[in-house]
Amino acid sequence: MDREQLRKRTHPLRPSNLGIALGGLAVLAACWQQTGMSVSDILAGSGNMLEYVRGNPNIADSGFFPPNLAPVPLGRYLMAMLETVEMALLALVLSVLIAFPLSFFASRNTLEIIFPGRSPFWRGLRSAIYGMVNLFANMTRSINEIIWALLFVSAVGLGPMPGILALGLHTSGVLIKLFAEGIEGVSREPIEALAATGAASPKIIRYAVIPQITPYLVSMSLYRLESDLRSATILGFTGAGGVGMLLFDKLRSYENRDVTTILILIVLTVALIDRVSAWIRSRAS
Amino acid sequence: MGMFLPMETAIHHMPREAPARESNLVLSAKGLVLGYGKRDVVRGIDLEVPRGQFLVVLGPSGSGKTSLLMSLNGSIPVKGGRLEVLEQNPSVLVGRSLEVFRRRIGFIFQSFHLVGRLAVLHNVASGLLPRIPLPMAMLRWYSREQYDRILEALRVVGLEDRVLDRCDRLSGGQKQRIAIARAIVQDPSLILADEPISALDHRSARGVMETLRNAAREFGITVVCNLHHIDTARDYADRIVGLNDGRIVFDGPPSILDETAIAAIYRGSREPEQSPSDPESSAA
Repeated sequence: MDREQLRKRTHPLRPSNLGIALGGLAVLAACWQQTGMSVSDILAGSGNMLEYVRGNPNIADSGFFPPNLAPVPLGRYLMAMLETVEMALLALVLSVLIAFPLSFFASRNTLEIIFPGRSPFWRGLRSAIYGMVNLFANMTRSINEIIWALLFVSAVGLGPMPGILALGLHTSGVLIKLFAEGIEGVSREPIEALAATGAASPKIIRYAVIPQITPYLVSMSLYRLESDLRSATILGFTGAGGVGMLLFDKLRSYENRDVTTILILIVLTVALIDRVSAWIRSRAS
Repeated sequence: MGMFLPMETAIHHMPREAPARESNLVLSAKGLVLGYGKRDVVRGIDLEVPRGQFLVVLGPSGSGKTSLLMSLNGSIPVKGGRLEVLEQNPSVLVGRSLEVFRRRIGFIFQSFHLVGRLAVLHNVASGLLPRIPLPMAMLRWYSREQYDRILEALRVVGLEDRVLDRCDRLSGGQKQRIAIARAIVQDPSLILADEPISALDHRSARGVMETLRNAAREFGITVVCNLHHIDTARDYADRIVGLNDGRIVFDGPPSILDETAIAAIYRGSREPEQSPSDPESSAA
């Protein structure tokens, strides 16, 4: 290959790169156009937002500030926040209980350890199981937890329980996908070594696969705990328990100073959980 | 050709009709052919290995020595000829019977194949897995006897004091000795070692070979070990088999491995690999 040819094929402004850039820009422009985004509207409307936060001067206590720190409602909000954390924790345990075993059936390498045959029957069985578990994961994952919450509220009534079930189910779909990715990335070498000792497949998974993925599983689960906590603060909007029920109530009745109190509590709790999980992650490598 | 065909020495020659044959031969191959697809990599090998022998297979890369080793524990099928390992034909075994067969064979890999995050204890214990009931294995719950076996194996490889260390904290030579301990707790009749020292520096390599030889002697284990260092093979083998292009071109004790034999083994490949130039190797 001569120099000019090489230069043409590796130049940063070569036609293929320009094409990709232009294509990407065209997609973004279409999105902007069709969603009705407008810089001037944001600038023109920012005053209204400020007014909303300040509140109507003719109505007492209609602004968001100062937050309401009176001990009676604050205690109630704290308890509701605690309930939200408990919901997120139980939902996480539920989702790990579902996702951990299933993820070994959503990973091609562990499926081959569990069902090792090479005949068409075993190949077919492996892809059938792989397909079913992934279908389950995709379904639970792509249906939002709010929708699941509405379904479970209709089944078991108001309160934290439908929220826990909804979060647990939705998160199990996410975790199956994440865990399976981790499992498919493990080194094959220890697996080979244990297969050569004549160990049975569950034992191979216990000794050669699980130890390799533990830090990853812990990390992913903790990440989902943070995410579940944030979702749990909203789930109450459907009547599924936690601080969200109060938040929805206060928003609708324009008790905006209480809304601020609750939002501050949420931010502080999420930050706290974030710190705790970072600490756990750092110890589990 | 023909010059270095099997030597009829007392060490390895067992008449076929001898009554002791059943119990005394760990491995016997007759006209063994191995290959992948249409390509043959082992082209008709006759080999008999008696119990307790430390056999080193020498040969350039591509000579078929890894395939030979893999066939011995049933990892690759036999294409032609007859193969008997521990009185069974490994290539017809599947599923449960293959698992039971493999329990009696330890395997040492070039790159150790340990789990780095796991403590030495559990890596060694993984050699015991076929004997640990499933619920106990899931909990990594070992009996007192199993702890004893693990500690005994670690004593043999000289790493008793590292039992609680994670394997990724160990040096290459130490890792390979842990792999040997894992093979020992299996209580194997045969250990297969595929280039066990090629990832190691000279000093660790000798430590590993010494450990392997001592372990084999202490427990009466037969060893088939692939090597490409001629000096190491000379120092540790009871018997050397030289492979070139899928055929045996030398078979005998290290004492008769001379320049002509080495030339035959490495014919058609790059220079034979000596141990890395090291003053100690010539002193030893």
